[in-house]
Amino acid sequence: MFFQQLLNGVTLGSIYALIALGYTMVYGILLMINFAHSEIFMSGAFFGYFFYQLFSRISFFQEKIFFFIFFLFLCSMFSTALLGIFIEQVAYKPLRRAPRLAPLISAIGVSIFIQNFFMLFVSNQSVAYPQIFPLKKYNFSLLEINSLQIFIIFLSISLMLVLRFFIQYTKLGKATRAVSQDRETASLMGINVNRIISLTFFIGAGLGGAAGILNGMYYGSIKYNMGFLPGIKAFTAAVLGGIGNISGAMFGGYILGICEAFTAGFIPGGAEWKDVFAFAILILVLLLKPSGLLGTQLKKV
Amino acid sequence: MIFIEKKIFLFLLIFFLLFLPPLGQSLGMYYTLHISALIGIYLLLILGLNLILGFVGLLDLGFIAFYACGAYLSALLSIRGWNFCLVLPATIILTVLLRLLLGLPALRLRGDYLAIVTLGFGEIMRLVLNNWDGLTNGPKGLPRVGEAISSPKFFFLTFQSDLSFYYLILFFVILGIIVSRRLDNSRIGRAWIAIREDELAAETCGINVDKVKLFAFCFSAIYAATAGVLYTHWIKFISPESFTFWESVLLVSMVVLGGMGSIPGVILATILVIGVPEFLRGLLGTQLVNYRMLFFGLGLVLMVIFRPQGIVPSKRRELELHPSNE
Amino acid sequence: MRKFAFLLSFVLSLSTINYLLSTAFLGCAPKKEAKKIVRIALAAPITGDLTAMGQGMKKSAEMAIEEANKSDEFEGIKLELVPFDDRFDPKEAVNVANQIVSDTKIVGVVGHLNSGCSIPASRVYAQHNLVMISPASTNPKLTLQQLEPSWQWVRNVFRVCTTDDVQGSFGADFAWGKLKLKKFAVIHDKTPYGQGLAEEFAKQFKKIGGTVSSFDGIIVGEKDFKALLTRIKADKPDGIYFGGVYNECGLIIRQAKELGLNVPLISGDACFSPELIKIGGPATGNNYITMVGASPERLPQAKEFLEKYKTKYPKVDSQPYDHYTYEATKIILQAIKMGSLEKKEIIETVRKIKYNGVLGETAFDEKGDTLNKVISVYKIKEGKFIPLN
Repeated sequence: MFFQQLLNGVTLGSIYALIALGYTMVYGILLMINFAHSEIFMSGAFFGYFFYQLFSRISFFQEKIFFFIFFLFLCSMFSTALLGIFIEQVAYKPLRRAPRLAPLISAIGVSIFIQNFFMLFVSNQSVAYPQIFPLKKYNFSLLEINSLQIFIIFLSISLMLVLRFFIQYTKLGKATRAVSQDRETASLMGINVNRIISLTFFIGAGLGGAAGILNGMYYGSIKYNMGFLPGIKAFTAAVLGGIGNISGAMFGGYILGICEAFTAGFIPGGAEWKDVFAFAILILVLLLKPSGLLGTQLKKV
Repeated sequence: MIFIEKKIFLFLLIFFLLFLPPLGQSLGMYYTLHISALIGIYLLLILGLNLILGFVGLLDLGFIAFYACGAYLSALLSIRGWNFCLVLPATIILTVLLRLLLGLPALRLRGDYLAIVTLGFGEIMRLVLNNWDGLTNGPKGLPRVGEAISSPKFFFLTFQSDLSFYYLILFFVILGIIVSRRLDNSRIGRAWIAIREDELAAETCGINVDKVKLFAFCFSAIYAATAGVLYTHWIKFISPESFTFWESVLLVSMVVLGGMGSIPGVILATILVIGVPEFLRGLLGTQLVNYRMLFFGLGLVLMVIFRPQGIVPSKRRELELHPSNE
Repeated sequence: MRKFAFLLSFVLSLSTINYLLSTAFLGCAPKKEAKKIVRIALAAPITGDLTAMGQGMKKSAEMAIEEANKSDEFEGIKLELVPFDDRFDPKEAVNVANQIVSDTKIVGVVGHLNSGCSIPASRVYAQHNLVMISPASTNPKLTLQQLEPSWQWVRNVFRVCTTDDVQGSFGADFAWGKLKLKKFAVIHDKTPYGQGLAEEFAKQFKKIGGTVSSFDGIIVGEKDFKALLTRIKADKPDGIYFGGVYNECGLIIRQAKELGLNVPLISGDACFSPELIKIGGPATGNNYITMVGASPERLPQAKEFLEKYKTKYPKVDSQPYDHYTYEATKIILQAIKMGSLEKKEIIETVRKIKYNGVLGETAFDEKGDTLNKVISVYKIKEGKFIPLN
């Protein structure tokens, strides 16, 4: 049962980690908690649903399941990423020079707006998510795993590796790191800061969108208010790992997922207390090691 | 408008606050009283949050936890038959102690880390209230079947009717405003502002930063606890649904909208944020009322973009240096 | 300060205009019609997290009012439904209640959905002698508070749904007697409704000799229950009882099947919605839902209601509390039809009423709880609710 619970935790943690990346990247660059990220995650799930409806009418995709899934993810992640940039341009960019809390309030406004928009104009009920991925069960002696869980873990880890590679080795990635270290100096070095910020939102929202589709596929239904709870959890994960730190966000996501699975899975009556544990761990980590588990000391804000 | 003197204006305001609810009551518009009372309770909360967020500049995303603490403690004490004269101070003391327990370790953290710790604490508080069935009756709320929260009694004064209770709330709000203004203009208020501008510089000027911050942190809990006590005695039934994370977020947005550290500003913002949804309810009619929150979200964004410093920016704050404005 | 003065007077004048406007709107009803206007208020979470349920309640209340207006049973009266949104928030509910009592044309209230809203709001209605029939609040306190000494007003609160003990213990008897299951895992959603139901189930199930292998709460809005279900699976229960709403219920059913936990699940009336099947998918087969009132197959009114609902709103899934809301509205209408338009009279009429409707025969005891304790069981089969008894 231990391994089974570990698997439950890791699957959940993969989704948290993907969302957490969006929080951590934006925080790393703008020092701002992007409250609207949870709604981006939700809209990603809905975009996935729309593209499914569209693609299932195209005969080319009928046979080729690989292309179907590939294009489904690509298109929905791209649309979600565009939404992310749109939000950044409309709601955050005019506030670059405003007091520090202004973008936070703007983000809250955007979040309320998007959630109500989906409720009013898309659906106020749950939407059944199509079974895109063929479900197969594999039985090992210690644990039982299905193809969807493998897919979720595989996809999220590979997306994170790609991101890590991008940040570490490409020119744009270097520029991103430079901006997050010092915006002014970076712009003096000829880096287009605005473009880098947009890029950050693009990547963060895209990953959030992917998490949304995975969440929809895994649990089988989506709803306009599905973003709030995973959003706050993923944020916790980002802080746990050290906010602003990309490997930290992944690490934090997995830790949180496993911690939740273990509290609900081993302690009788633990399911209702698991969030208390999660937040208690968060507070303890911050008090003992304020920069998070993997973080470096953040400069004074 | 230009000729209105400050005193005349204040007089008008007090007149309005004193006589609008009974006027509404007599005209059969009972909701004026209720909304006014609710605005009053929120004003106390906002003044408390303004103390810590506006004056000292510490972001607190779990302020509602102490409001909840005040509400639940006073309900528990009131059910056991305590007099309001004892319930109020006891609740305040216990809430401040809790705040102190959180503040001692948490205030060592800087900037957003403090915000995150308070956020986590707020969530823990709500979950504990919902899960600790033995004490708080869990999701079923307080008071339990067969118990009741009595009306406040001050020696010979009983606040039985809604209207008299409204005046009690008004009394606490005015008291809160006076205390807040006094603090702002006092030595300690100036110390807070020094800390907000530059902590290191403040420390070199001989301000005991930790102590002063802790004082602000705990003092704001007095406001939260009072608001909680009043809420419990006003609604007479409390359940964990009232103390969600969104409430905290709403409070922070009210302070920022009003103008951080500006007392008139946050008062205005509270009236707007609590009053406007009600205003929209009447104006939009039954069909459009669903779009209320949509407009509210949009309004928040537009407001911040076009007036990021708040509705009535604090004069002193406008003169400050802002690191993000460099 | 001047700026502030200006802004404040702006706000104050805005709010004054609002008061005037709203009274104008409410006050000057179309004067051309000679018919007397009578309003019934619906208070429900029309926006917010439970909007689907609230919208369902609104639809069914509208249906009841429309039918009444079409029939010629109400001579000289034009009935109107005024929906109010409480957003699932107690303080908002009290706001709404105050708005409702301010409108003198409103003679009765159908609502609220959750007990956390119903209980504080009921005091406001009581102070103004307004009848309130809740379609969904199951907290015993809601009606029992009227017997307490602090309740100095008329006893105005009624409900058409049962309290948790009736349904929960029925579920236990059904599981033990009909399904012959000996060991249950109980899950609830930590709401007054879900927890109350689960507690009553566990109490009764233990009393008649069954074993409750585990008793767990979950968090509403959460989607992953695999860890909990993996633990439950290790206990090898014969069945699962769930107290809560269809969202979580569907997810639990689905995830239990995915984990290979193939035992029947029993739940209460808040899961009685096609949405359950949408969320749970094919896994929902062979599970049971208990519901207050006789099954529609036996009750012509209920069958008629379902058909009308389907034709009127073909694209929308019915929601768990639609029946109850329809019934509550109909009961107030019946009281009006019996000749009372005075608020206090309506309360007394409702207290004595015997109404035959979609839930069977409803009458109220002295507290205001329904005496209709008939409970029917539905089995889910191929995406449909099949009545069993």
